[in-house]
Amino acid sequence: MSTSTVPAALERPRRSPLAYLVRFQSLLGLVIVIAAGIGFSPRRHGHILFLQTDNVANIIRSIAETGILALGMTFVIIAAGIDLSVGAVLGLCSVLTAELLVNEGWSLWTTLSLVVATGILFGAVQGFISTKARIQAFIVTLAGLQAARGLSLIASGNSFINISYGAGPGKAPVGFAILGERIGGVFPVATLVFLVLAALATFVLNNTRYGRYVFAVGGNEKAARLSGIPVEAVKISVYAITGLMAAVAGIVHAGQFSFGSPNDGTGYELNAIAAVVIGGTDLFGGAGSMVGTIAGAVMLGALANILELNDVSAALQLLATGAIIVMAAALQTFVNSGSGGR
Amino acid sequence: MSPALLGLHDVQKWFGGVHALKGVDFTLAAGEVHVLLGENGAGKSTLMGVLSGAIVPDAGEIRIAGEPVRFASPRDAHAAGVAMIPQELDLVPGLDIAANLFLGNEITGAGVLQGRRMRDAAQELLAKAGVALDAGLLVSSLRIGERQLVAIAKALAADARILVMDEPSAALSSVEADHLMRVVRDLKARGVGVVYISHRLEEVARIADRVTVMRDGQVVGECPPQAPQAELVRLLVGRPLSDLFPPRASRVGKPILHLHRAAFDPARPRAGWQAPRDVSLTVHEGEIVGLAGLMGVGRTELLGALYGFGAVGRWSGTVEMRGAAARLGTIGAARRAGIAYVTDDRRGTGLVLHHTVAQNTLMSIWRRVTPFGLASRGLERRRVAEAMENYDVRPRLPAAKVVNLSGGNQQKVVFAKELMNGPSLLLLDEPTRGVDVGAKTEIYRRLRGLAEQGLGVLVASSELTELLGLCDRIVVMRAGRTVHAFGADAGEDAVRAVCESGDEERAA
Repeated sequence: MSTSTVPAALERPRRSPLAYLVRFQSLLGLVIVIAAGIGFSPRRHGHILFLQTDNVANIIRSIAETGILALGMTFVIIAAGIDLSVGAVLGLCSVLTAELLVNEGWSLWTTLSLVVATGILFGAVQGFISTKARIQAFIVTLAGLQAARGLSLIASGNSFINISYGAGPGKAPVGFAILGERIGGVFPVATLVFLVLAALATFVLNNTRYGRYVFAVGGNEKAARLSGIPVEAVKISVYAITGLMAAVAGIVHAGQFSFGSPNDGTGYELNAIAAVVIGGTDLFGGAGSMVGTIAGAVMLGALANILELNDVSAALQLLATGAIIVMAAALQTFVNSGSGGR
Repeated sequence: MSPALLGLHDVQKWFGGVHALKGVDFTLAAGEVHVLLGENGAGKSTLMGVLSGAIVPDAGEIRIAGEPVRFASPRDAHAAGVAMIPQELDLVPGLDIAANLFLGNEITGAGVLQGRRMRDAAQELLAKAGVALDAGLLVSSLRIGERQLVAIAKALAADARILVMDEPSAALSSVEADHLMRVVRDLKARGVGVVYISHRLEEVARIADRVTVMRDGQVVGECPPQAPQAELVRLLVGRPLSDLFPPRASRVGKPILHLHRAAFDPARPRAGWQAPRDVSLTVHEGEIVGLAGLMGVGRTELLGALYGFGAVGRWSGTVEMRGAAARLGTIGAARRAGIAYVTDDRRGTGLVLHHTVAQNTLMSIWRRVTPFGLASRGLERRRVAEAMENYDVRPRLPAAKVVNLSGGNQQKVVFAKELMNGPSLLLLDEPTRGVDVGAKTEIYRRLRGLAEQGLGVLVASSELTELLGLCDRIVVMRAGRTVHAFGADAGEDAVRAVCESGDEERAA
């Protein structure tokens, strides 16, 4: 080995251009979707409808909730787990928010703190059960999904809770209405919440010790444990993060629509997972990107919008989304098999 | 002269930044056993991957009986009569031998499996391969050597003209290996060409017609089988191998680990996990202590119990680190006490294979390179560059995925990772398993170097010659107990006798 004629450092790596494609696939996909959006957009009086301020505001508002869920989901998936309960927890937290504000007359901050704590606790318990009892996360969070739905039916008395604003009993504090509003009449507050959390999540994943731990645990749990990484704590914590994100998304949901409904959020977990996968995160764990997830979420929102603008049926929209998920996954597998990865 | 049965010409392959095959030529004649020797990472497995269609070369030519062929998949290679017997045998344990021999090629009548006909045909194939096994046996019930023979029979079932065997004898007992040699000679007599990959030098003279040695992705020499071993080693390693083992400790310091009548009580006893029951040993600064003993006497378990890995439980008796009582039993406690551990399974538990060298190297010291919990890329880069330099990890690409590195370089990354923390005691389980002679020497030298800097080393190994050559002292274990300690001058026979005696004690 020591007699190698070429100094090792001088051997140039030959990285396949496809590897770069995968690294930036979600951003590239986003560019393509936006270009297509402009190209295929209906026009009115010479204006491109897709680019109209109103329309753009609609797109970014529509992605706020699944986007927030996808941020948490990215941590879990990189840690080689999965959380199917986030949509149901979103529903539970929207109901809880409405119930406490309207029917119990709690103050805004007490309500929000309790709802967020509920989400974190719910996630942490799932993580704890999965880790300590060694049950696959898929199963535990599937059970968690059912449990959260059941809890939200109980909390709401199986009914829809309308939020009206004002002073006095039966009214929510006026401040809460801000989540449904738009800054300057344009920029949705819900999207601002998403962007702040997205910046935070990106920072935590890329620039902290905790983020490094998440990658290591997802890459090889045993090797991480032998290297002294607190594997169980990391695994439990990622579910606490998804719980937290689901709670915030539930609050945003209640605020945006001014009601809490026990059946809302159904299927959101799948949209969140789709955004993560399109963003290039490996479902086997150990590799992934938060920026990719964010781009993936925006891309899904933009895509749905284009199809809607062109009056494409909901059925075809689902088909298109499915096709994109498969393409994103296929591209990754193709590149990984070439580079000797997985 | 008729064309060779198989000919490779100027075959090249890149993996990411690693040039794994740098223009390899290789031929094989019918009825020939051509042994391919090489260290880990020399490129022999890659070459075999190319032959079996699992790896598509970036350049070069493959000819079979003079005809150029292109293998895009293992199926193509199979169709051309090339059969591969990998180290990890591709048999389905839950099926019987017959079903395995005809896997994907089942004998059916009107779409229904013809079990009896398949078993009869399988029995014939087994007989042809010189294997005396009932075709109705489940593969899961066979020993590893028997499975190897079934794999050969399976290759014959596909009418293979070229058989590629990847270290077939690595996991076999000597009796099983003898049987394998007979079967291979038999195949040869029937005109099958055999490519036989090995790093057991003593096998070469017994089986080979021709020997090719690879190093660094190139063929560095071709020899007749009678070539002296020293010459083969020189080709393999690229330099004369004057001395396999480094000199022993010059001076020994204060005790680091001291166990006296120590026992480990697992919370949940498991069958087959031999808990340390009565262990007395001391490892000093600068000293390499070996743990010897037969399989299953509790060497691995002793290391695991010290490091807090493999079982949860409590120590009793005297357990001291640097003269002070230590509560060991969890990984956290062991690491705080300055203990590092190198597993015997670097791919399974030592490394994150699809992470980079940098990520792996830093895995045990994230706490130290993340001030206030924040990542510092500059600090990370510096520590990784330092480690790669110290441990001579090649290529020097911190962003290379570990999976693309050779076995020897992977092992260096494991060592670098474990030693980044500056431990005072290093536990090693089979540090040279699956590593060839050149890489072994390098590991021995490095261990001695670490010991000279004051590290204490406790190494468990099933290779007695390794312990005798490397260690300052050898402690023999039997049934979870330390029974005898030998000095550096111990004779092999004496140590072996102590290891193998006392069977009646275990039975009692």
